[in-house]
Amino acid sequence: MAEDFNTDSMLDMFLYESEQLLGDLQNTVLEKKDEDSFDETSINEIFRVMHTIKGSSGIMMYENITKVSHKLEDVFYYLREAHPDNVPHLELVDHVLDVADFITGELDKIKEGETPDGDETKIVDDIDKFLKRIKSGIEEKGEELPPENTYVEPSQFYIAPTGSESYKYYKASIYYRSDTQMCNIRAYTAVYSLKEITDDMEYMPDDIISNEDSGAIILEDGFHMLIKCQCSSDDILNAIGDTSGMERVEINDCTQQEFEMGFHDHGQEPIVIEMDDKNKEESGKKEEKKEPAPGDYVIKNKETGKGKKLAKNHPKASPKQSYISVNVEKMDALMDMIGELVISEAVVLQNPDLKVAGLDLTNFQKAAGQLSKITTELQDVIMSMRMMPLTNTFQKMNRIVFDVSRKLGKDIELEVIGENTEVDKNIIEHISDPLMHLIRNSVDHGIEEKEDRIAAGKNPRGKITLEAKNEGGKVYIIVRDDGKGLNREVLYNKAKNNGLIGNRPMSDFTDKEIYQFITYAGFSTKEQVTEYSGRGVGMDVVVKNIQAIGGKLEIDSMEGAGSEMIMKIPLTLAIINGIVMQVGNSTFVIETNAVKEFVRINKDTIVREPDGEEYVMLRGECYPFIRLNEMYHLPGSNSDIEEGIVVVLEHENKYVCVFIDQLIAEQEIVVKPIPSYIKKVQGLSGCTQLGDGSIALILDIAGLIAGQERS
Amino acid sequence: MAEELMNEVDELEELEEDDSQKGMFMTFRIGDECYGIAINYVNEIIGTQAITAVPEVEDYIKGLINIRGKIIPVIDVKIRFKQEPFEYMDRTCIIVIDVKDTMVGLIVEQIADVITIDEKDIIPPPSLNQNSYGRDKYVTGLVRVADEVKLLLDPEKLIRDEDPNALE
Repeated sequence: MAEDFNTDSMLDMFLYESEQLLGDLQNTVLEKKDEDSFDETSINEIFRVMHTIKGSSGIMMYENITKVSHKLEDVFYYLREAHPDNVPHLELVDHVLDVADFITGELDKIKEGETPDGDETKIVDDIDKFLKRIKSGIEEKGEELPPENTYVEPSQFYIAPTGSESYKYYKASIYYRSDTQMCNIRAYTAVYSLKEITDDMEYMPDDIISNEDSGAIILEDGFHMLIKCQCSSDDILNAIGDTSGMERVEINDCTQQEFEMGFHDHGQEPIVIEMDDKNKEESGKKEEKKEPAPGDYVIKNKETGKGKKLAKNHPKASPKQSYISVNVEKMDALMDMIGELVISEAVVLQNPDLKVAGLDLTNFQKAAGQLSKITTELQDVIMSMRMMPLTNTFQKMNRIVFDVSRKLGKDIELEVIGENTEVDKNIIEHISDPLMHLIRNSVDHGIEEKEDRIAAGKNPRGKITLEAKNEGGKVYIIVRDDGKGLNREVLYNKAKNNGLIGNRPMSDFTDKEIYQFITYAGFSTKEQVTEYSGRGVGMDVVVKNIQAIGGKLEIDSMEGAGSEMIMKIPLTLAIINGIVMQVGNSTFVIETNAVKEFVRINKDTIVREPDGEEYVMLRGECYPFIRLNEMYHLPGSNSDIEEGIVVVLEHENKYVCVFIDQLIAEQEIVVKPIPSYIKKVQGLSGCTQLGDGSIALILDIAGLIAGQERS
Repeated sequence: MAEELMNEVDELEELEEDDSQKGMFMTFRIGDECYGIAINYVNEIIGTQAITAVPEVEDYIKGLINIRGKIIPVIDVKIRFKQEPFEYMDRTCIIVIDVKDTMVGLIVEQIADVITIDEKDIIPPPSLNQNSYGRDKYVTGLVRVADEVKLLLDPEKLIRDEDPNALE
């Protein structure tokens, strides 16, 4: 996607970062959605995300994003500083999600190369009203409005200082050029970068975040900071130095007393006198507040406060893994190269020159063993590089459960298990949609209305479990609900009425087969189509999508107790276990999982219809019979039934027997597409390179069966 | 920034390459005729190797070959021109061409030479039927070099199926 708009790395960074941040934001919000309010950590987190997005979108000149994020930032600034306890939590969650959606939408537009032109006024107005309401709520209660100018709690951003207590104190002032815009934001950026190196700081005007007008004041009078740190003034200069639009920076030493007195002590300085009344008043207010114990806060921070804060923050600060993003094409190229390497290795190690009699190969064999080990490890590493955890995909589901259940007025909890399970990146891209559909189905059809649940003696709160696990070389992704489950009879009658199963009696089907009916095209048990599901397309599409990546969907259910949808998906698309076989001069590969058995048969078991179609009788069952050599007109193959081998293949409970000359080996193969230049051949799904460098064609069982059915 | 610079360098190199390759044609023999193909389409020339036949495809598509892990189709140009097939020998070569990101190997009887042709020496192929011109015509121009007429091929038409939709 990044390539679409060439190498505008700024924009790339912006999009990438914003998306990450929005992802984090949604997780935080959804994690806390069931609680009464956001805790301090999440408020800070949301504030930080909004602040970053505001800043970067401002730089990128996406005004509507800036405005929206700014508004939400205001709200969280207020929450953080005022700790109001009358916040309608769900409404707030809605607002946050609205903003996240809005920004995501705009980012998508930017990605497509369009201008982000979404109208932000409604969201901004809504949030404005919301903010006013919580603010006024406090006033009505007669509580004092919190001082908007309390400085950002520095301890949140501390980097643990190195034991030493030798603090230095500075007074720094930044003056901006007169044409600079948004000085308050720039000043905040400076504050933010200083936080990294300082132990404590104060600044003035101190309402730079909440007060838009502070920008003008800074422009006129400069931005002043009192800094307590262990570094030199040069370090401070460097940290500030990143901010653009600055005219000059002044840094002067000052004493601890001066620092602890804060800005009010400089009241006689012209800058304060020049300030307008409102600001004076505010700084006056702060003075009062601080006066009782000017040094307390600082001391506390230095001793107990710091330790406590750090401990509290600790779980969040778990060692971050570092990542780089790499173009997938490069990964594929690397994988190809390693494949080549393995083949070259075989060519060297099995070189005919080595077979000369009387050679002493002891040392060679040792070296060869080492080489093989390394190449095998290399293969493992490249495979693991393509693996990604399902975490992101699962987190998206959180949002869906939340949205859909609220719209339907159901109370549903989503439990996520094993989201760290890793699967191939290609597969992740393919399971998102089917999974979303399954989850929606569970919310909509699976979980009953609250009243029904209560009547059935169940917990009124429904529960959906989303689980991923590794089992036998496959990934199981399970969507389980504790809803009403599937009803055998209803399903059977519906399928019969829709003409999906002909006239076969119900006893013909096992439970699982009947549950599978819901995956048939044109089947929908829901009488009324809702916004989310029940169009009668859907489950069949889900199954198709899952099959496209070599997986299958199993359905299990217990009436009244819930149902379970199990997606069984291969770990990776790129490598499969295959059985290599030969027909004439051609080599074919069949996925091992599809092979039921190999048999040798005699002529009598073949039944031939007048039109040439053949069947084979095995243990009383009759299977369609395909002679690959005839089907593909392959020369030089043996046509004597009794000399060749019959492979019984299964795909979705359908069987087909394929007649081949001989088996060669079972091995792991790397699946490659047949070049698109060659048009699609029925029954072939790809090709692969064998150990000796030759190419084998991969048989597509579904295609073979489909071709058989058509004829 | 560095990346941009690199791209620029790349582009520059490409330009230079194009310039120096202008008017150069790889020539090869099929039957009695000598054909030429613009050299900027040519990736490499390899000797014959094991070709894996793909069933149920056009007869001129001989199958797949493996070039350093890349699997590409090969076509027999002689059969493509609806001439009698010939037997592959050690000297038979495969010219790997890259036409708009489609890599295809061309099996030719004999590689001749790389020649430089002045653009104004190229004459359009004469056609009796004006309407048929341009359709299914692999030859875009004729050129006389020494005493021989060489036929210049349009690789795009060469590898494209008669049915223009087939590639899609």
